[in-house]
Amino acid sequence: MAPENTPSGNKLFMVPADISDSDIFAAMKDIPGYLDITPGDLKEVFRFAYKHAVERISGAVKARDIMTAEVYTVRKNTDLKEVAGLMADRRISGVPVLAEDKTVIGIISEKDFLSRMGAQDGIHVMSLIAECMKGKGCLAAPIRQKTAGDIMTSPAVTVTEDMPLFRIMELFAETGINRVPVVDRANLLKGIVSRADIIRAPLLRGGTGPAS
Amino acid sequence: MNAYFRKMKGTTQSPPRVNMSEIVWSWLGAFLGIGFIAFVNANIFEKIDLLMIIGSFGASAVLIYGAIKSPLAQPRNLIGGHILSAVVGVASYQLFHAHLWFASAVAVATAIAVMHATKTLHPPGGATALIAVIGGEKIHNLGYFYALMPAGGGALIMLVIALLVNNVPKTRKYPEFWI
Repeated sequence: MAPENTPSGNKLFMVPADISDSDIFAAMKDIPGYLDITPGDLKEVFRFAYKHAVERISGAVKARDIMTAEVYTVRKNTDLKEVAGLMADRRISGVPVLAEDKTVIGIISEKDFLSRMGAQDGIHVMSLIAECMKGKGCLAAPIRQKTAGDIMTSPAVTVTEDMPLFRIMELFAETGINRVPVVDRANLLKGIVSRADIIRAPLLRGGTGPAS
Repeated sequence: MNAYFRKMKGTTQSPPRVNMSEIVWSWLGAFLGIGFIAFVNANIFEKIDLLMIIGSFGASAVLIYGAIKSPLAQPRNLIGGHILSAVVGVASYQLFHAHLWFASAVAVATAIAVMHATKTLHPPGGATALIAVIGGEKIHNLGYFYALMPAGGGALIMLVIALLVNNVPKTRKYPEFWI
C-alpha cells in the first residue's frame, strides 16, 4: 500500500544497449578534436543517460493508461466456493477483496488458494497435482466452508493511477506478484494492472493503446 | 585494502590520438596567441614596467588552442579562473609573505576551491595564484593590479585570438559555451 516506497534504480533499467569499450573509443575518434574525457568516463555518462532516457520514456505511460478498468471483485464474507467459481468463469487469476465502503482491503490469487490446499513448496500447481495423485481426495476440503476474508492477502499491494509503467514493472519483478489493484487517494478501486496489461502496453504515450 | 591498491591500476584506456589537422591548428593557435602577448610584452609593457605575459599562459594555451572542447578551456573558465586565482594569490602573499611556503600552499589550494565554487575551474589558474606569491618583486609590486594585468588582460587577448583561430577550420568551433 505504499508504492512510493518502491526501491528505485532497479537493475531492470541499468543495462544500456550493448555498448562496448571499442564502440566508445570509435565514437571518440568520429568526433574531430581532443575530447577531454576518458573512454571509461564517457561510457559511464552514456550508461546514466541511457537509464534516464528509459525512465523518461517509460515514465510517460502511467497505470491509468494501461489498467483494466472493469474489475471483478469479491467481499470479505464472500464464500470461497463463489470466489473460485468467479475466477474460473472469468478466467482470472486474482480478485481484489473490497470492504463495505468499497475500499480495497486485500487480494486473493491462485496462490492463496493453493497454499492452503496443502500445496508443498509453497504454491506450484504441479505440487498440488502431485498430492492429488497420491489419492488424498479433494484437497479443497480444509477451506470449503471458508470466506474470502480467511485466505486473502491483506493488505494488498496497490498502486495509484499516476504510477509510471516502469515502476509497476519493477514492483512485479521485486515482489513476484502478477497483478496490482489501482486505487485513488481514498483507496477506492479504479482498475487493475496485470502482467498481461503490461505486455499489451504501448511503450510511449500516444502510441497504439492497449487492446481492450 | 586490496581494493584500495587495485584502484591504482586504472580501469580504462587512453583516448585516441587526434588527427594531423588538429595538431596543426593547435600549433598555429598557440603560436599566434602566445606570440602576440609575448611581443607586446617585450616591446611595450617592459618599457613601462608592466607585464602582459606570465608562465601560466603557456598552460592556458594548451587548453584553449589544443583542447578547445574541454569545459576547462571555455571563456568563463579562462577569464574567471585567471582573475579569481590572481586575487587569491595576491591576497595570500600580502597576508602570509613572512612564510612564503605557507603563502604558496594557501594560494594554490584556495584558488582551486574558489574556481570550483564559481564553476570557473581552469588549471593554469593554480599557476597564476602561485606566481602571485613566488613571481618576484616585479609581480609583488603590482599588488591587486596583477589580477587585471597580466592575469585578466592577457587572458582576454588570448581568448580573442582563440575565437579568431579556432573557428577557421570546418571541423572546429569555439567556444562550447560562454557563461
